[in-house]
Amino acid sequence: MFKAKRRTVVTTTAVAAVLLGGALAATLLTSGSGKASASAGDGIVEYPAGHRPLAPDVTGTSLTGSPIRLSSYQGKTLVLNFWGSWCPPCRGEGTTFAELDKSYGPKGVAFLGDDVADTPANALSFTRSAGITYPSISDNGYLVVADFSQAGVQVSDTPTTVVIDKTGHVVGMVLGAALYSQVTTLINDAAVSS
Amino acid sequence: MTDVHAPQSESQPGSVAAEGAAGRLPGGAGRPAPSAGWLRWGWRQLTSMRTALVLLFLLALGSIPGSILPQEGTDAGAVQQYYVSHPGLAPWLNRLDLFNVFASPWFAAIYLLLFASLVGCVVPRCFKLVGTARTPPPRAPRNLARLPHSSSYASALPPEAAVARAAEILGGQRFRLRRPDAGGTDYWVSAEKGYLREVGNLLFHLALLGVLLSIAAGGLFGYKADKLLVEGQSFADTTSALDEFHPGRLVSGSDLPPFTMTLNKFTATYIQSGQSLGQPENFNANVSYASSPGAKPGTYNIRINDPLSVDSLKVYLIGHGYAPEFKVTSADGSVTYNAATPFIPASTSTFLSDGVVKAPGAATGTDLGFMGVFVPTAISNNGTLESIFPAADDPAVSLIAYYGNLGLNDGVPQSVYQLDTTRMTKLSAAPHLLTPGQTWTLPNGKGSVTFVGVKQWVSLAITYDPGQVPALVCGMLALAGLLLSFFVRRRRVFVRAVPAASGTGSVVTVGGLTRSDASGGFEEEFTELAAEIAAAEPNAGPNAGPTAEPSNKSEPGA
Amino acid sequence: MPVNLGFATASNDFLIAALLIYSLAVLAFAGNYAFGRPRRKEEAKAAAPAAQLATVGGGSALAGGEPSATAAAPVPPAFPAPRPGAFRAIREAGPWVTAAVSFSALGALVHLAAVVCRGLAVHRAPWGNMYEFITALTCVAAIFFCYVLVRFRAWALGVFVMGAVVIALGLAETLIYTPAGPLVPALQSYWLSIHVTAMTLATGIFFVAAVLGIMYLVAERYRKRVEAGKAKPGNGLIARIPSAAQLDKLTYRTVVFGFPVWTFGVIAGAIWADQAWGRYWGWDPVETWAFITWVIYAAYLHARATAGWRGARAHYIQLLGFASLVTNMLVVQVFITGMHSYAGVSG
Repeated sequence: MFKAKRRTVVTTTAVAAVLLGGALAATLLTSGSGKASASAGDGIVEYPAGHRPLAPDVTGTSLTGSPIRLSSYQGKTLVLNFWGSWCPPCRGEGTTFAELDKSYGPKGVAFLGDDVADTPANALSFTRSAGITYPSISDNGYLVVADFSQAGVQVSDTPTTVVIDKTGHVVGMVLGAALYSQVTTLINDAAVSS
Repeated sequence: MTDVHAPQSESQPGSVAAEGAAGRLPGGAGRPAPSAGWLRWGWRQLTSMRTALVLLFLLALGSIPGSILPQEGTDAGAVQQYYVSHPGLAPWLNRLDLFNVFASPWFAAIYLLLFASLVGCVVPRCFKLVGTARTPPPRAPRNLARLPHSSSYASALPPEAAVARAAEILGGQRFRLRRPDAGGTDYWVSAEKGYLREVGNLLFHLALLGVLLSIAAGGLFGYKADKLLVEGQSFADTTSALDEFHPGRLVSGSDLPPFTMTLNKFTATYIQSGQSLGQPENFNANVSYASSPGAKPGTYNIRINDPLSVDSLKVYLIGHGYAPEFKVTSADGSVTYNAATPFIPASTSTFLSDGVVKAPGAATGTDLGFMGVFVPTAISNNGTLESIFPAADDPAVSLIAYYGNLGLNDGVPQSVYQLDTTRMTKLSAAPHLLTPGQTWTLPNGKGSVTFVGVKQWVSLAITYDPGQVPALVCGMLALAGLLLSFFVRRRRVFVRAVPAASGTGSVVTVGGLTRSDASGGFEEEFTELAAEIAAAEPNAGPNAGPTAEPSNKSEPGA
Repeated sequence: MPVNLGFATASNDFLIAALLIYSLAVLAFAGNYAFGRPRRKEEAKAAAPAAQLATVGGGSALAGGEPSATAAAPVPPAFPAPRPGAFRAIREAGPWVTAAVSFSALGALVHLAAVVCRGLAVHRAPWGNMYEFITALTCVAAIFFCYVLVRFRAWALGVFVMGAVVIALGLAETLIYTPAGPLVPALQSYWLSIHVTAMTLATGIFFVAAVLGIMYLVAERYRKRVEAGKAKPGNGLIARIPSAAQLDKLTYRTVVFGFPVWTFGVIAGAIWADQAWGRYWGWDPVETWAFITWVIYAAYLHARATAGWRGARAHYIQLLGFASLVTNMLVVQVFITGMHSYAGVSG
């Protein structure tokens, strides 16, 4: 009788486990939806002081062919904008960045672009029309994005704007098209801590 | 597998093999609590064979709409199409999850109940099997001649020795034996073999459960992504670089291994002549890759059926097409666009492809847009451009030019394959044909467009599925279990000896019984075995062999 | 590699020859019905001891798969065991049977030659499109049936099985003939041979099982009518086919043979799908229907061990399984777009 009881318990437990496991699987099997599209003011990520990841020392070539090294920006707050001329939200925020550069450039904030999956001709045509004068890394293969990803900063959307403080640490980022105020918030964050 | 849900009502108490009423929850007697009674009743219903059958049918029936209606998981575009063509019906079908059958709650309910029913049967039977393995075979029946298979022979040995001899042979063939208690005058041996049948049976059902769990693991921890890549282009495996990213529930972008890849060259060859003209012969995507940025690079030829394995994930070639290169200059002569532009094949047999070129101008309202048709091997059919061969032997594009506002700077995402012409005007009534190297100077001094050349693109699928290997292992185990349960038969052989009427020697009877002989052949096995037992007599004389009149219809001496 | 036209032509000729020889076999099998010796008399002797076999052996409860209807009443024997003199048995069965079996075997050989030549012509496994697939699977069915003929002396089944083979082959030849040619890249994998071979083999076996199942239903219906007194026993036509119980058992054994092959084919297909498309199972219409078929045959195997489902009901399930298989082959692969759309019928 005792043995029989134990078997009942084991069987019931096994069935319950299957049902639970199965139910879990069933609800989870449907994988997440495709990539979300970017729209203005998507999401702002701010790393608290002391938990700021160190930005990777990226090297690359500008759209006009001159070398660029991220570490050469140390000592300045850097606004790094990941963009592409093929991407309407990036084009939409272009004038915002031209204005930010005009206002904050003189205050010692540096601006840099990372132009992904693009051709220099198309990219330069856009920067000319948007009035952007700061350089962009020509990053056809998303290598800079991958470097940041390995450093723990997920540049999961195009456009994304990353702000790096004077010590080379990432203050925060705006995923999707950035608003003027969002970027200034991050610039101020960078100034406060360092 | 047939008898996991063993028919309880069928057991016949008097039969030789009556202990087999498995699949029933043990300890069923007693405990009169009414709610427990209902529970037990429900439980019996669930684990009954009849329920399992009904669930199997429901599973088959439930799968049918998934093969007829377009499914979100396999072809989301076709679902959209269905909404357009059946606006009244589609929302109702959607409410019943009929566009996502295999992930729907009702489909899950069917297979979960089925697996619950299966486990409810298999677990008690595992206990049963362990019990059977511990108990020796039953005693030999008194009259072996009444068994389905039997034969007898005269032995020169006394009964005890004759039986011992037979037991030796049976034991040598790995039968489990049972002898009578010492001191009796009853001389017999019972032998049983073929427990692997039940082992296989249980293995099959448990392995199916394993397959289900493996699929679930893949759904949780795996992911699938798509990427379109033009020759010369590269990408790193990050969410922003991927065109589509379908992560499992427990996967985030930071879980992606950071490999990088460049498409060096894509080659497609086609049959040049005969009836199968234009049928593809071979696709080959030559890529350079590194498992992380800066790691040692390698090259690989990805083909269909030959994916690249990198960083525990696999990269598959799933499509290809043409990307004509255009250079657009604006009215002031500055280059506004210079890139290879992927076109989407409208026909996979001729690779006539459609695409658009968007060349934003320096000022608002000065954008140029082109709608194009690309043909790899051009032929003009009454003025209509057509393609006669899928390879780019004689490429041409036909363009329609638009001038105005593309809307790219509005910040609203738009498809790269569609042109919004609502704020644009057509520059020419008829399409303009270009071959590589040719330039079309647009009317009214709006600039020019040059068809520079042709590149190709591939579409790649990147997948990671940790459930894959477990699923394969479980599938193979299920197959092994199936074979065991079908082709191993559980059988018993009994040998009984009585002193011969003449006083010396004995008469030995061999009886055989099988309870599961799906593949047939026990008869032959028994005949051989009986002959072997008889032939093992030390002084096997001419009259010591099997008797000429065996009591069954199997033919002696065969 | 270009198509070898010599082999391609030879293959076509062999196939036409096989079709003609099969037709002669069907005629001879039919002739046996009309003019040959009835089977019952031939085996009346053997039936008596075997009845006992059925009573004793059939009573077992554990033998879920096996007991079937035999538990209830003594029935005529299963097919006689093979004996060394299988060929003598053919000769003894009369000239019609001798001719029919010879034609079947010869036809199967010529058919096999056609399939092999097709393979040599196109330098690959000769089952890359629907036409080749049906050609190959009827070849498997014919060879498997030749084995059944000799093993079980089942000449009575000949007219049905070989008739179905002739019809299937004739339809393939007239409706979906596809000239010899190389394969599209998606099919260039050794998994093609493994997956499609298993599927072809299983289809051929299930085809035989389906024919046996239909004959069972006919025989069983007649048996019931005789029991109810609605029909006279000893109907000449029915007497020539094996008894319902024999057919039931033979069908079961055939399905038991085919089911693991089908299972293996599905697994091999999953491995190939993983290699070609990046997922081992994606509910593509053809995959879904292979799954449905598998589930229905599993239901048949379970039904045979369930009270109230044995006999005719189980056979209906089995036939339903074959119907879903045929649906998959002729409807789903041709009319529903999916990743398996290689049939080459529409194109």
